[in-house]
Amino acid sequence: MNEVLKAENEESALELLHELQCTDGLPVVIPTRERVARMVLASGLDSELVLGELGPAGGVASVEKVATAAVMAGCLPDYMPVVIAAVKAAARPEFDLAELQATTHCTAPLIIVNGPARKTCGPISSSYGALGPGHRANASIGRALRLCMINIGGGRPGISDMALLGHPGKFTYCLSEAEEASPFPPLHTSLGFEASDSVVTLLGCEAPHSVLYADNADDPEDAEKLLYVLSVGLANIATNNAIFCSGVALVVLGPKHANVLSRSSYSREKIALKLWELTHFPTADHDYYGNEFGSRFDGDTYCAFEKPEDILVMVSGGVGLYSMVMPNWGGAGHQNRAVSVKIEENFFCEIPGLSKS
Amino acid sequence: MRDGYCIAKHGLPIVALITDDFWEQGQFMAESIGMPDLPRLQLPHPVAGTGEDRIESIAYSIVDKILDRFSHE
Repeated sequence: MNEVLKAENEESALELLHELQCTDGLPVVIPTRERVARMVLASGLDSELVLGELGPAGGVASVEKVATAAVMAGCLPDYMPVVIAAVKAAARPEFDLAELQATTHCTAPLIIVNGPARKTCGPISSSYGALGPGHRANASIGRALRLCMINIGGGRPGISDMALLGHPGKFTYCLSEAEEASPFPPLHTSLGFEASDSVVTLLGCEAPHSVLYADNADDPEDAEKLLYVLSVGLANIATNNAIFCSGVALVVLGPKHANVLSRSSYSREKIALKLWELTHFPTADHDYYGNEFGSRFDGDTYCAFEKPEDILVMVSGGVGLYSMVMPNWGGAGHQNRAVSVKIEENFFCEIPGLSKS
Repeated sequence: MRDGYCIAKHGLPIVALITDDFWEQGQFMAESIGMPDLPRLQLPHPVAGTGEDRIESIAYSIVDKILDRFSHE
């Protein structure tokens, strides 16, 4: 059992949590014993079950502690399987959470949800404004992971989280794939899962960069122009990927742009390959702008990404002229890899009337 | 700090060099990894990119302290 704080009322409790630096700076739902117990109960898991260790503090992420964060973040009990999968992914050694929290780079973990859990544990939006305000599941699931990173992982700005500026996705960063609107098989099937699985893919990445492309179905070079524009946003000389030449970056295609590429017979794999080719840059630029990171490549060009698979491609958002790209940090021992974890919905305990209370 | 920890856990002596702005983070890391007394010395912040002359001057100002810490390990 965790330590229980005492306060006269919820207002005082909120002030106490702010004072103890247990919040993200915004008001939280007070995690009373009853609320946490109900969240644990809904998870169907033992409260003491350890999901992993979160760095840099090395705190033990038990189901109870994660449930506490989920309550504080404003999650419904329905969301717990996704929060639990996200925490498990963050705790995996290849995610390098301690380094990700400690770096001066702005990186934040983006939670990508695929499979039936998008609906059963949500709805988790993949449509208009999926990364913006107004979607409770997106907002609170991402926030729950952040509160775990603060209160279990010990990430506090200027002390253990040394991001020079950070970005707004450090409050919450979660969306699902628009599988029904996508012309491609779901992202998680490209990562080795069955389409019927529900999966969280966690990627530490920068804030989303908007990519404008006014497509034209009569233009025979429509797809190639779009891919070029995407590649410019994905890895230009200002990004870590183009300088460190490591890591994994994400392309979030709007459904309209996805259809432009599909029309020209591009699969997800072919898109990634083409973007990988388009992010080969002059070695002279790396030498000149890379300073201490430069002068390490032979030949006239170098690759911003080690291999095409380091460029993830998914479909999400409303229908229009915009897609988004998220370059990433590319540091630490595992070069800031994406980590996918299956969402275990079988343990979820539905309690009539609880999820909406 | 983590690099220092990785070396220290193999039984080798280390002195971690940490700049002012990261001093508190260094203490945090040292405590979280269970080596609160991991030897460290403070440098001005920033060091990287400040030019060869300044980096050389910082190196000269700290080298005796580094050797001193090693001689007491």
